[in-house]
Amino acid sequence: MIPVFLGVAILTFGVGNAAGNPLDLIRAGLKNPSPAVLDALRHYYHLDQPLWQRFLYWLWDLMHGNLGVSISGRPVASSIGAWTVTTLELQILSLILSVAIGVPVGVYSSKHQYSKTDYAITSAAIFGYSMPTFWLGIMLIIIFSFNLGWLPSSGAVSVSYMWWGTPLLDQIAHLILPTLVLTYVSLATIVRLVRANMLEVMRQDYILAARASGLSERTVTYRYALRNAISPVVTIIGLGFGAALGGAPGLETTFSWPGLGYAFTQAALTLDIPLVEGITIVITVMVLIANLITDMAYAFLDPRVTID
Amino acid sequence: MSEKQPTRGASTWSLAWRRFRRNKSALIGSAIVVFFIAVGILGPYVAPYPARSYLSLYTGDAGTPPSFKHPFGVEDSGIDVFSETIHGTRNDLYVGLAATFVTMVIGIAVGAVAGYFKGVVSDILLGVTQVFFVIPVLLLVLLFARVFSVLVFKGLGLTLIVLILSFFGWSQIAFIVRGETLRLKEMEFIQAARSLGAGSSRLLFRHIVPNILSPLIVIGTLDIAGFILTEVVVSFLGFGDANTSTWGLLLNEGFSFVRTTWWVSLFPGLAVVVCVLGFNLMGDGLSDALNPRLRE
Amino acid sequence: MTERLLEISSLRTYFFTEAGVVKALDGMSLEVNKGQTVGLVGESGSGKSVTAQSVLRIVPRPGRIVDGSVKFEGEELLSKSEDDMRKLRGPKMAIVFQDPTTSLNPVYTVEKQLTDILTLHRDLAKSEASQRALYLLELVGIQEPEKRLKTYPHELSGGMKQRVAIARALSCEPTLLFADEPTTNMDVTIQAQVLELLKKLQKDLKMTMVMITHDMGIIADMAEHVTVLYAGKVMEVADTVTLFRSPKHPYTEALLKAVPSVKQTRTLEVIPGNIPNLIEPPTGCVFHPRCKYVKDVCVKEEPLLEKVEDGHYAACHLWRELKLEGRTG
Repeated sequence: MIPVFLGVAILTFGVGNAAGNPLDLIRAGLKNPSPAVLDALRHYYHLDQPLWQRFLYWLWDLMHGNLGVSISGRPVASSIGAWTVTTLELQILSLILSVAIGVPVGVYSSKHQYSKTDYAITSAAIFGYSMPTFWLGIMLIIIFSFNLGWLPSSGAVSVSYMWWGTPLLDQIAHLILPTLVLTYVSLATIVRLVRANMLEVMRQDYILAARASGLSERTVTYRYALRNAISPVVTIIGLGFGAALGGAPGLETTFSWPGLGYAFTQAALTLDIPLVEGITIVITVMVLIANLITDMAYAFLDPRVTID
Repeated sequence: MSEKQPTRGASTWSLAWRRFRRNKSALIGSAIVVFFIAVGILGPYVAPYPARSYLSLYTGDAGTPPSFKHPFGVEDSGIDVFSETIHGTRNDLYVGLAATFVTMVIGIAVGAVAGYFKGVVSDILLGVTQVFFVIPVLLLVLLFARVFSVLVFKGLGLTLIVLILSFFGWSQIAFIVRGETLRLKEMEFIQAARSLGAGSSRLLFRHIVPNILSPLIVIGTLDIAGFILTEVVVSFLGFGDANTSTWGLLLNEGFSFVRTTWWVSLFPGLAVVVCVLGFNLMGDGLSDALNPRLRE
Repeated sequence: MTERLLEISSLRTYFFTEAGVVKALDGMSLEVNKGQTVGLVGESGSGKSVTAQSVLRIVPRPGRIVDGSVKFEGEELLSKSEDDMRKLRGPKMAIVFQDPTTSLNPVYTVEKQLTDILTLHRDLAKSEASQRALYLLELVGIQEPEKRLKTYPHELSGGMKQRVAIARALSCEPTLLFADEPTTNMDVTIQAQVLELLKKLQKDLKMTMVMITHDMGIIADMAEHVTVLYAGKVMEVADTVTLFRSPKHPYTEALLKAVPSVKQTRTLEVIPGNIPNLIEPPTGCVFHPRCKYVKDVCVKEEPLLEKVEDGHYAACHLWRELKLEGRTG
């Protein structure tokens, strides 16, 4: 894990210094940070030191939570907290929904292979991962926000007008469309995976043997088949979630959802290097943690596998 | 002998082809792909308006909804969506195909070496692959695209986008190739070849690589779909080349005026969906054809 | 007293695949009396395993029993409900499968796989079930059974895995046991041990066994009566001694000739050709393309099972004329 983290750190640092030093790169972005900010950054990046020492200082700062100051003057670390929560809110909710719906649907589909329902489910799934997630968001906004006026079209919360009455309901109202989009797209992958793995597992001898022992269909399907089919699905879900922690910049931009993806996009456009670096590192750490959890879950589910 | 014996060819590839032909959705997917490739090749000659052309501004058609004259409508800026979508087809297909090709080359090279040889070199390669597997690919692609377009090139160009996408996209293939190489390495036909005097590079390229072709064909097809989707997001967010017609760019322009000129967001998006669907269906069909489910 | 335990007649089990309808069993019959060991012999693809699956009605999709009758203890199984069948699977009939590496669930311990069945059929408490599981492992000759209870299948050797599979099949003391090629994937020495175990268990538990195999040697060792199956149809039925001494079907003769013998020094005769296409089976006698005695009538008409003498039947037009070689060694 550590070497991987170091590798990413090197890569990120490398880009930040692509112009020789971060400050030149920032200036190339044509946003003019105030002299005070430039000074602070000069200090933060230890620009008087040689490159490798600058890297070590930067790494040291990182590990102590000092992520520097954005070109807007605000410390990076304090902003990232809020953005992370906002992104996680959306991602975790979608993950839970898509697994809770996706797994049973996938199992059902595998048990009714070639039926009309299976065909419908598989088609819906393949559409799901053939479309750009953010585009589905745009379409839903057009229909449900602009034309029907049922749901808000942007932001995570409202400033003045409260949708549906209370602040809590307002938050829920804002969550609906982006969650719907994200869930549908994740569902598509999960349903397909579960279905494919179940079909594979149900053909195995030990399923036939379980039936030969008189075990009920329910036991055979869930305790014997699914239990075996689920491990690779868990891995893919875990890895996918890790990737999604990148915040789905397209979706967040579409809904002006103030999460990590949206923040990163704005930061990259304005070449706000400290912010960019900070977000990248934070996301990478979260991905590594997600991968670790996934590995442990996989070892738990499949006794043939040991973690090293 | 009075028994009827089937006399058709029984090689793996002809069997797979026959299975593929029987698969309805695979055929639909292939038809879609062929259609889009045709549009990509012929499109620029057939499209009513040249790429990035604001002509409609002068004919007073700017900002009009879909009509007979402009099947997909016109942007506020005067760009005809239908023509632009056609022009974008060639570019998006180029990105998808080129990026897939480059990632295949890198991925196969890295994966095969990492899987076949033991020792420091393959450990390093494995480590590098892992690093690239973990990084938030989309974010770094955006970052690189922005940095490059500001520092090095004024504007970005499709080829650079392809290179950036490939730079971050090869790790999945490398992992798979490495896994398959490890697995095949221990098989008996390799021992047999070695006992007949085959050296490492011969073993690697004449024996191992041809055996991993099937999964790679499938992954390659699905990757084309994936890269097109990635390009669309990148351009949508404004990190692509503002002078090259791409579907993502159209969606970017459309989003600014989505309340009024909704057709600019609808039609290019539909083009993406159908095109990607085509590749996905084809990829699934190839997967089924090359890895049949035995029924007896 | 010979009580008929299992009576299969005109059983047809077809598999409805993309490539066509595979007639895995096309009118086969089998009679098993209580306490007997009956051998069901044939090449791979002859339908032996499908027979066992059909009796327990667990034929996997896209297979389906389309016709025939299966009577167990006098009752027609094919008209029973799925719930009723489930009550029979385990306590009344069981199968030991060919490859224990794939027939044991990889993610559960040995104990769990045994107790799952015990708690279901026997209504035992967890601890009682574990006790019985321990007893079962001892019964099949596994050393240090307490340790083995907690292991996973992949931690066991091939021979031990098959013993566990046998323990699983016997857990509810079934009346009828199908042993589906239980030793095919094993070393000869382990093979002998497992067969001895099965013989002993059959005697101790007073089970009736159907030994499914392609190995005539195992038939000679284990079975009292034999049914020879080819392409889903019965070729010959007899008691073992008679079948070996004076077979009346060319396929049986060929099977016997293909088994090497220590005593005789002769070249092994191979049966030419392959098993037929079960989607479009040959006309007339299903074996005629590979039969060295084939005549015109064999191509045109399908032979029915005819009585040679009491307890000995053959499905061949020419059995009266042919002088077939048996085996004495």
